[in-house]
Amino acid sequence: MKARPYWNPYLAGVLLGVTLLATFLIAGQGLGASAFPKRVIATVGQEVAPEWTAANPSLGLYLEDDANPLRNWLVVEVVGVMLGGLLGALSAGRFKPAVEKGPRISTRGRLAYALGGGIIMGFAAALARGCTSGQALSGGALLATGSWAFMLMVFAGGYAFAYLVRKQWT
Amino acid sequence: MIEAIFPITFGSEELRLLTAIGLGFMFGFSLERAGFGNARKLAGQFYFNDMTVFKVMFTAILVAMVGLYSLSAIGLLDMTRMWINPTFMWAQLVGGFMLGVGFIMSGLCPGTSVVSAASGRWDGLVTFSGIFVGSFLFAVMLEWFPVLERLYTGGSLGDSVLPALLRVPTPLFILGVVAMAGAAFVAAERVEQAFRRRREPVELTPEPTRHAPRYKFAVAGGLVVVGLLATGATAPEIEQPDRQIAAIAPLQLADDIISGNPGLVILDLRQEDDTASGIPGAIRITTDRSAQTVLLSAGQWAKVVVYDEFGDARTALGTWPQHFEYRFLSGGLRAWRAEVMTPAEPAGHGSAEREFIARQNQIAAFFSGTAARPTPVAAPPVVAGGTQTKKKKSMGC
Repeated sequence: MKARPYWNPYLAGVLLGVTLLATFLIAGQGLGASAFPKRVIATVGQEVAPEWTAANPSLGLYLEDDANPLRNWLVVEVVGVMLGGLLGALSAGRFKPAVEKGPRISTRGRLAYALGGGIIMGFAAALARGCTSGQALSGGALLATGSWAFMLMVFAGGYAFAYLVRKQWT
Repeated sequence: MIEAIFPITFGSEELRLLTAIGLGFMFGFSLERAGFGNARKLAGQFYFNDMTVFKVMFTAILVAMVGLYSLSAIGLLDMTRMWINPTFMWAQLVGGFMLGVGFIMSGLCPGTSVVSAASGRWDGLVTFSGIFVGSFLFAVMLEWFPVLERLYTGGSLGDSVLPALLRVPTPLFILGVVAMAGAAFVAAERVEQAFRRRREPVELTPEPTRHAPRYKFAVAGGLVVVGLLATGATAPEIEQPDRQIAAIAPLQLADDIISGNPGLVILDLRQEDDTASGIPGAIRITTDRSAQTVLLSAGQWAKVVVYDEFGDARTALGTWPQHFEYRFLSGGLRAWRAEVMTPAEPAGHGSAEREFIARQNQIAAFFSGTAARPTPVAAPPVVAGGTQTKKKKSMGC
C-alpha cells in the first residue's frame, strides 16, 4: 500500500482558511506557532532568573499579568497542531521516523542546516513578533501593514539564499 | 443592525483555551494534508518547482480575509475586539528577511516544523528545537546590543492596516487582493510546469507504515490531553474579558502632548517598583491611586492614553468607565524611549525624510529638556494606527 497523495493545494488552502477564520471568530485572534517557544523560555526564565526575565523586553511582557505564561491560547493551540499533524500523518500513511534530504548531503549535514535554520527563525520570529503563522498568515488576512511587509521579506530572504543551500534537496 | 456575536466572549478562560486544542488540531491537520510536514516539499517553493506554499497560504488568506470582511460588513463580527498584529516596520522587515533565510535552510517554518516533527521527521524536531535556542538568543542579545532594542521597538505604526495606510476603501482593497491573487495562482501554475519539465520531481512520500496500532495511541493520547484540559475547565474562574482598544504611536503621542491637547489624560500603569522616569505629565497608577479615581475627575471628553513598559497595557481596562476614548501606547515606554527620546540620524537623502527626522530630533530635544517647545504640526505622515478610534464599525482594515 502506498501513502495517500497530498490534497490539492487549493483544497488544503480552503480548509486552512476556514480554520483561520473560525479562529478569528472564536478566539478573537489569529493562529500562531512561535509564541510557544517564547512562552516556554519565559516560564523557565521566571524560575531561573525572575528579575532578568521580567525586565527583558522580549520576555517580560509574558509575565506582566502575573499568570502562568503557558496558560495561553497560542500555547494550547500548538499542542493541538502536534496532535493534528500526528493524526494527519498517521491516517495518510506518512508517519515515518526519517530525515528529509536529497542524496547529495549527509544526514548530519542536513540536521546541521535544520538546526541553524531553526536558530535563525527563532531569532527572527522574536524580532518580528511572529512567524509565518502569526504574521504572514494571520496578520496577512487582517491586512496588517507590518504583516504584509514581513511576508514579502520572507519570500525575499528565501529566494535570496535558496541557491546557496540547494545541495540539501537535490 | 444585527448584534455582533463574534469574537465570542467566553465565561471562563479555560473554556476559551479548550477551543485552542480543536482549532490547533485543524491547523496541524490541514498543514499536514497540504504536504507541509515535509521539508523537501516546502523547499520546492524557493526553486520554483513546487509552488504549494504560495498556493495554500494565499488561498487561506483569501478565505479568511473575505470571511472576516463579509461578517464584519453585516454586523455579525466586531472588528474592534479583534487582536490585530501591531506594526513595527523595521523589526518586521528585517525579521521577515531573516526568517526567510532560516526557512530555506531548514526547509520548514516554525509552524510546519511542529507538523514535520509530529510526522516523525528528525529534521523537523531539530528545527523546532533550534527555534527555542534562537528565541532565547534574541532575548539575551537585546540586553547586549542597544541597537537591537531600537530595531525591535522602532518604526511603530500601531494597529496599522493597509487600506487605511493607503487610503483605499476596504472593499475595493479586498477586491484588488483577490484579483491579484487569482492572477498569481495562474502564474504559479505556469512557473511550476516550466521548472518541472527541466527536472524530475523528487519522490517525496515515504513508504507507508503500519498505522493501525499507532492510530490507537494517537487517539488515546488526544483523549488524555482533552480530558486534562476539561478538568482544568471546570475550575469556575470568571474573568473580565479584555477590552480591545486602539493603539497610539509614540511620535503621535509626543505631538499631542506638545500641542497641548486639553482632554489628554496619560496613565502610567507600570509596576510600582519601576522607578525609571515615565512620560512627562503622566499620572502614575498605584494601589493607593486607582485609575477609576483619577478618571472620576477627568472631563467628559477626556482622551485617555495608557502605557506600561512593553505596550501590553490594553489588557488592564476591564472595569474602567466605558465612556472615555482609550488608546494604549504602541510598544510601551520602551518604544517611547527609542523613538521620542532618541535623536534619529538620516539614512537616505530624501527631503521628506530629512524633514521628518529634523522634527523627530526637535521632539527628542524637547522631551529631554534641552530645547524649547517645537512647533506643533499634524501627526507625522507615516503614523496611521494611532488615529483610529475604537468606534469604527467596519472591519479594521
